[in-house]
Amino acid sequence: MECPVEPYTFMAERRPALAHWQAMDELQSRARPMLRTDEAQGYWVATDAEAILEGLQNPEVFSSAAIVPTEPNPPVALLPIMLDPPQHTKWRKVLGSYFSPGRVEKQAEAQRAFARELIEDFRAKGECDFYADFAEVFPTTIFLQILGLPIEHLPRFLDWERKILHATEETDPGRVQAVTAMMEVVGYFAGVIAEKRADPSLLADDIVSHALEWQIDGEKPGDQDLLSCMLLLFMAGLDTVAAQLSYAFHHLARHPADRAPLVADPSIAPDMVEEFLRVHPIVQLARKATRDVELHGCPVAAGDMVAFPLGMAGRDPNVYPDPTEFRLGREVTRHISFGAGPHRCLGSHLARQELTIVLQEWHALIPDYEISDESRVLEHAGGVYSIEELPLRWNV
Amino acid sequence: MRLTVDHAKCQGHARCYATSPELFPIDDEGYSAIDAVDVPAGQEELARKGAAGCPERAITVVP
Repeated sequence: MECPVEPYTFMAERRPALAHWQAMDELQSRARPMLRTDEAQGYWVATDAEAILEGLQNPEVFSSAAIVPTEPNPPVALLPIMLDPPQHTKWRKVLGSYFSPGRVEKQAEAQRAFARELIEDFRAKGECDFYADFAEVFPTTIFLQILGLPIEHLPRFLDWERKILHATEETDPGRVQAVTAMMEVVGYFAGVIAEKRADPSLLADDIVSHALEWQIDGEKPGDQDLLSCMLLLFMAGLDTVAAQLSYAFHHLARHPADRAPLVADPSIAPDMVEEFLRVHPIVQLARKATRDVELHGCPVAAGDMVAFPLGMAGRDPNVYPDPTEFRLGREVTRHISFGAGPHRCLGSHLARQELTIVLQEWHALIPDYEISDESRVLEHAGGVYSIEELPLRWNV
Repeated sequence: MRLTVDHAKCQGHARCYATSPELFPIDDEGYSAIDAVDVPAGQEELARKGAAGCPERAITVVP
């Protein structure tokens, strides 16, 4: 078997919505289960759902020491996403309790009320930019609450989020602004931690307060590790739910027939969320080989990067008939859009809940809407695929 | 019918729990809380569905 060389790229320019997904689908149909790309230093790409699952479930061979395919030697280590077991397991144990199904469910009613409040802010206007006015604000505010940070800092977080997570070569050559913003985020958390240490009256039932007392291997982690963990929560928690929402509402705005059953029966929202997660797995992962290994006929060498695009797993026609179609009531729904193996998205339960709440509350308040200007609906690719602007309008 | 869970594979997706909280209880962190259980009569279809929905393929159904 040979490993075909194909023009797969991780970084890509903005294109009209869904164009990057089509490109991914085409590459998958041409080259499976593996391909080789010349982007950056060159790396392998698993293009088949089985191969992607297999790789992610095997951290001994495919390490998380590097998780961006074009960056085999990352400048910063984010904890614990860039740790392997057994070190990863210890951090994960500490963090897991904050994002467990039970803990997440206790926040549901407050999140629901907040979703309604946000929608009511613009409902009477008959239009909004779904991304900037809702998708980005909703999960970011919830993130601030869980971390125990003041809601007044929302604009600052949104600004950092845009600079760090939405930078492209056109908007931020050399990622100068992005790196500066990342240092500001770390500086911000260093300040919060220092304040809480100096004044115990600031300690509350939130992650940052608890982090001061965390024990890893029977010891308190150093400040650098704590800050790296806070930076990860920022990077992972802010724009992923926003991105997933952008695709869900892009689809629903263009397919009234798929909204109707939800408007009639909000209890189907969780099933819709699963199908949205399957059809648009926004996160594209990669791992670094720890040793020479033959992977489906491709000679992967120690130190090589292997991309495991979750998008290709969810849209694999070998697993799902007509995979690019959003379709409720599919027989198989075991997508790995939250990843697989020990790094399964820590926030998956929170994300599912947020997505469900938004589908329900939005359609209770604004059941009919459409995209007002398709030409503004562009998406970016990279580690997280997302639509960046989604102008919607409705009758009031 | 019998269900077994491979805890080395379970990563806490909690999708089985979403299928049936009674048949697939989870621990406080969302990982499966069962090793092996006999499926009560009448719940075979639910058991198969829960097993088929596991993203990690950690659940085996033995007829």
